[in-house]
Amino acid sequence: MTSVAFPAALGLTLLAAVAGLVLPRGPRRVTAGVLTAGGGAAAVVAGAAAMRGGDWSARLPGLLPLAGARLALDPLGGLFLAVTGAVAVCAALYGIGYTRHGGLDGRVPQTMVPVFLAAMTLVPAAASVSTFLLAWELMALASLLLVVAEHRSRDEVRAAGLWYAVMTHLGLVVILGGLAGFAAAAHSESFEGLRAAADGLPAAGRGAVFLAVFAGFASKAGIAPLHVWLPRAHPEAPSHVSALMSAAMVNLGVYGIVRVGFDLLGGGAAWWWLLVLAAGGASALYGILQAAVAGDLKRLLAYSTCENMGLVLVGVGASGLFAVSGARALSALALTAALLHIVNHAGFKTLLFLAAGSVLHGTGTRDLDALGGLRTTMPATTALFGVGALMASALPLGNGFVSEWLLLQSLIHALPSGGTLTAVTMPPAVAVVALSAGLAIATFVKAFGVGFLARPRSSAAERAREAPAPMLAGMAVAALCCVLLAISPGAVLPALARSVAVAAPGPDAVTGPVTLHLTGLAGTMSPLLIAAFLLVAVVGLLALLRVAATRRTARRRARLWDCGAGPMSARMEYTATSFAEPLQRVFDDVLAPETDLDVTPLKESAYLVNSVTYRTRVGDRIEHRLYRPVLTAAARAGEAARGLANGSVHRYVGYGFYTFTGLLIALAVIR
Amino acid sequence: MRDLFRKIRKTGRVAQDAPRAPEPVLPERARDLGGSVQIRHVDAGSCNGCEVEIASAFGPVYDAERYGARQVASPRHADALLVTGPVTRNMEMALRRTYEAVPEPKVVIALGDCARNCGVFAEAYGVVGAVGDVVPVDLEIPGCPPEPEAIVAALRGLTGR
Ligand code: SF4
Repeated sequence: MTSVAFPAALGLTLLAAVAGLVLPRGPRRVTAGVLTAGGGAAAVVAGAAAMRGGDWSARLPGLLPLAGARLALDPLGGLFLAVTGAVAVCAALYGIGYTRHGGLDGRVPQTMVPVFLAAMTLVPAAASVSTFLLAWELMALASLLLVVAEHRSRDEVRAAGLWYAVMTHLGLVVILGGLAGFAAAAHSESFEGLRAAADGLPAAGRGAVFLAVFAGFASKAGIAPLHVWLPRAHPEAPSHVSALMSAAMVNLGVYGIVRVGFDLLGGGAAWWWLLVLAAGGASALYGILQAAVAGDLKRLLAYSTCENMGLVLVGVGASGLFAVSGARALSALALTAALLHIVNHAGFKTLLFLAAGSVLHGTGTRDLDALGGLRTTMPATTALFGVGALMASALPLGNGFVSEWLLLQSLIHALPSGGTLTAVTMPPAVAVVALSAGLAIATFVKAFGVGFLARPRSSAAERAREAPAPMLAGMAVAALCCVLLAISPGAVLPALARSVAVAAPGPDAVTGPVTLHLTGLAGTMSPLLIAAFLLVAVVGLLALLRVAATRRTARRRARLWDCGAGPMSARMEYTATSFAEPLQRVFDDVLAPETDLDVTPLKESAYLVNSVTYRTRVGDRIEHRLYRPVLTAAARAGEAARGLANGSVHRYVGYGFYTFTGLLIALAVIR
Repeated sequence: MRDLFRKIRKTGRVAQDAPRAPEPVLPERARDLGGSVQIRHVDAGSCNGCEVEIASAFGPVYDAERYGARQVASPRHADALLVTGPVTRNMEMALRRTYEAVPEPKVVIALGDCARNCGVFAEAYGVVGAVGDVVPVDLEIPGCPPEPEAIVAALRGLTGR
């Protein structure tokens, strides 16, 4: 199955790329979109087949110079391939409608989406260092071109593209360094060879390799403090590309960490995984705090991606720690939770980014403070975003709840069995997961309540129009997947267990089709029964209230209470900023918001106020504190270096002459 | 915190002894309200004299709350409206809407001479009329301003306690 479906997936996406390149504007959008969606569907089939145990590998010696290309799919790669494919199906369907306007139907964006998808299908299937790095770089370049697709219309796009280009290439450099060093020490560049040679390497060398690749992969996954590009690039990309990046591409960072850390390097020392756990925890908290105070809908979603990838890394780190301490069942459980969270996050983040794209498409703005009242004008998008927000909130009925529950179970159950290390690390980890889950609820209540309910806060929101059918179809597919994952995770868990076994071999961590049982631990949960119970409870309560309310006195229609003064205006509503203000105040020290208040008095008297200007901005503090100084120093060094090149030809000839002579002298001395 | 507790201990009880419960003034309403009346106060244009007395009636000395009367922050929560002052032009619509917002069954109390018959503000240019000209009044408390005892007595007549 895999041997047919995987080449089919690649073939269809490449065909889509060709269609995007050569077809005239008329049929280009639909043809490329349908072919890309077909490629995504084939990728899902290939990934699912690989997860069911249909391992597949291929060697294409002539494809790359010197090394040749090696491809192989195992259950772990299959999982990431299937997730990528599923996201691509939704995004491609959606893209057919979304790219109709704004110059997105040009050749470059239409070609690059399938190329991006092809690169993302190749990354989890690569089985040698050179193939992997090539696919990785192709993925980065294709996504970079897509991020800057709308650079003509907005200035921020250019800045975002620059940040992304620099960060992704710095990431590539460290991954390249790490993997090249690994391959040199192992005398092989195929993953098989690396796997076999890893045990023979000195511990310090393996640690250095892990540190390097972890930095690179963590940056791709948007883990703080290497996340700075993510909240810039994801919002500025066209929305279907944002979905592909935020729901599929960031996963591959986690894939890299799991593949290299667990599979190729074979586990390693406890400090590796402590580092992963700490980075994940920090990212989860920082991401969700920033999301909670963000006023831009897509920026909020981007920071939520940082948070969710952080949670995934908490699971991955915990799994590694447990594996080092020999707790196999716990290790498998933590990794199951992490991988399930990747699947769940991909589902709801696709849905949310696509819905945010519909809002942008319908109103022309992403600013939550200017939205509102979309319930009446965009009912389908509102309902779909509502579903996504519920899923992202880690509450029962949402799919995020299932994976976060599993994660918490694995962290909590570690306490009695583990040594001092787990006793010290697990309580804060539990607190981090719990706190980020709580803040996520506030964040998504804000996004949904302020963005979609109440009254329109601007004329743009008032004139909103519903998204066209292909866009709704893309979102509906994503919503359906989310709901299925939420009420019946038992359907995917057996397949997931094989992916987990690649990295953390052991018995299936979670069993049971309807009620989930944890292997070797006391813990059961049934999402389906919880959903049914909640449904019955809510319907029952509403019916009861209705009966109780109508029994005694007749109903009377009354005007909305507006304090007796005229009708309420949209300016009296809660805005995203005001909703987040208490949180912002509580976490003042972390977020360091910049507020400034300008009171201009009248000329006649200092006591009479003419105008008041209030500005508040919550910047990315990490960017401010960590990156700005480096950037300023680099700029200053550049300025200083200008003195070397003052435009005089004589000087340049002189440089050439002295360098050449210096080289000759050096050679003469050394030889 | 310690000072506060010390002060509480030293001050002791300042509330006056409760006089005998008066006869209920609106017996059939009192039955509906069951001895607990939630009151929304509306200043329809008063000179604030009445407000001072209301504050005193609900203060520690007269403590109207022990008889079941309570002030609330929204007409939606209220059983009764306590209206002071003559109804001015600017407050007329607000008073009507507040009256509309109170759930049935409701009671309107006109407190002070201004509320009853415009008092010293009768025929002033900004005055629409007495409270009774704008919304139906069930209970009147005379005085300019009425003494806290009178206010408490009237409220007790309503709560029946
Ligand atoms: S009744 Fe007397 S105290 Fe009360 S508002 Fe009128 S003038 Fe003021």
